[in-house]
Amino acid sequence: MVETHAADAHPPYLYPDYKSTRLRAPAQPLVRVPPSPLEAASPSFPKQFVKDSEADLTTWGTSAPLGEKMVLVGRVLDDGGRPVRRSLVELWQANASGKYPHPVDDHDAPQDPNFLGKGQVLTDDEGRYRFVTVKPGAYPWQNHAFAWRPAHIHLSLFGNAYAQRLITQMFFPGDPLCVIDPIFNSVPEAGRTLLVAELDLEHGIEGVALGYRFDIVLRGTRATPMGV
Amino acid sequence: MAGLTPSQTVGPFFDRQLLWSDGGSILFAGQGERITLTGRVLDGNGVPVVDALFETWQADGAGKLPSGGEGARPYGYGRVSTGEDGAYTIDTVMPGAFKGAGGETYAPQISVTIFARGLLKGVQTRVFLVPLDAIKDDPLARAVGDPERLRTLVATRDPGNPKSYRWDVRLRGAGETVFIEP
Repeated sequence: MVETHAADAHPPYLYPDYKSTRLRAPAQPLVRVPPSPLEAASPSFPKQFVKDSEADLTTWGTSAPLGEKMVLVGRVLDDGGRPVRRSLVELWQANASGKYPHPVDDHDAPQDPNFLGKGQVLTDDEGRYRFVTVKPGAYPWQNHAFAWRPAHIHLSLFGNAYAQRLITQMFFPGDPLCVIDPIFNSVPEAGRTLLVAELDLEHGIEGVALGYRFDIVLRGTRATPMGV
Repeated sequence: MAGLTPSQTVGPFFDRQLLWSDGGSILFAGQGERITLTGRVLDGNGVPVVDALFETWQADGAGKLPSGGEGARPYGYGRVSTGEDGAYTIDTVMPGAFKGAGGETYAPQISVTIFARGLLKGVQTRVFLVPLDAIKDDPLARAVGDPERLRTLVATRDPGNPKSYRWDVRLRGAGETVFIEP
């Protein structure tokens, strides 16, 4: 297998167009060491950690949330194409108006009492996951004049090794805000399409929800120390 | 095989999904000497980072890698956010040393990952809970070499409370913490 150098896929720490990186990005080179035996293992999330209902963000309230319902499906794989099984996938997002239920969100847009914008699942034996949610709205932010974040869904993954830990964002196909978003553009050009979901109508719900597919590839555990 | 999915910032709005009640009180299957690890996360101007997600993963008191969990919580894993003063605290056990597959010894340490707004990818490192002269043979200590840089990874014991360890993280600039590339 060809080694994929993680540095080629991921954004740099310092990306001045995204202003918050200027004071938070480490400046010293990272030290390359193999994952410790600890980092080659992962916290285990017991089945009861996740309730089935946490995969559906649209049934939490007393009625349906506002917005365009969608199904998000995908597989979590390692860089050798192997499914990442029974691994925690966490999701959070703005509501259809582009508002988070969070005290520091000062965007003048309505909260939706029927939408909390959070969910979690464990992948199945094929590495698959599925959420039902609503399409989040875009929202303005203060990075630069007229800055708007494209609609996006935050995803947090554990993989089967702590060294695979990944937090990312998923974007929507054809969104004109992506190409002017410094967070999206921080990713080297070849990798940007890997952050964009595909329309996947068959995985939607007929007459109810649009389907999208977003597969996620985590770095392999090839670097397990001494070939364990 | 398709390329790796690129990392993106955790942003400022993660609390509802990613924070757990008691996420800083770490569970283990066995007994161990309870300690606290506390400190602040600071940016390149020394200003507290008030919205970081601070995660820890460690061996138990005997140096055994955790497996399984209790109730609905994994053993050995902690997750908190920094507060308005940039401070975090975890309540855990003193981890034991453990061996690598090649026989190398890993000094008592906690693997730490920090995500935050302005970090396009999490920073990973390891904090040592024993003094600098006790980690000379640790694989990371050997890889770092320079004792001044290595010192950024050593927690200091509170002279007034031997069960309390302090470790500050400087993301950038003077005294920048050593981070690792997994």
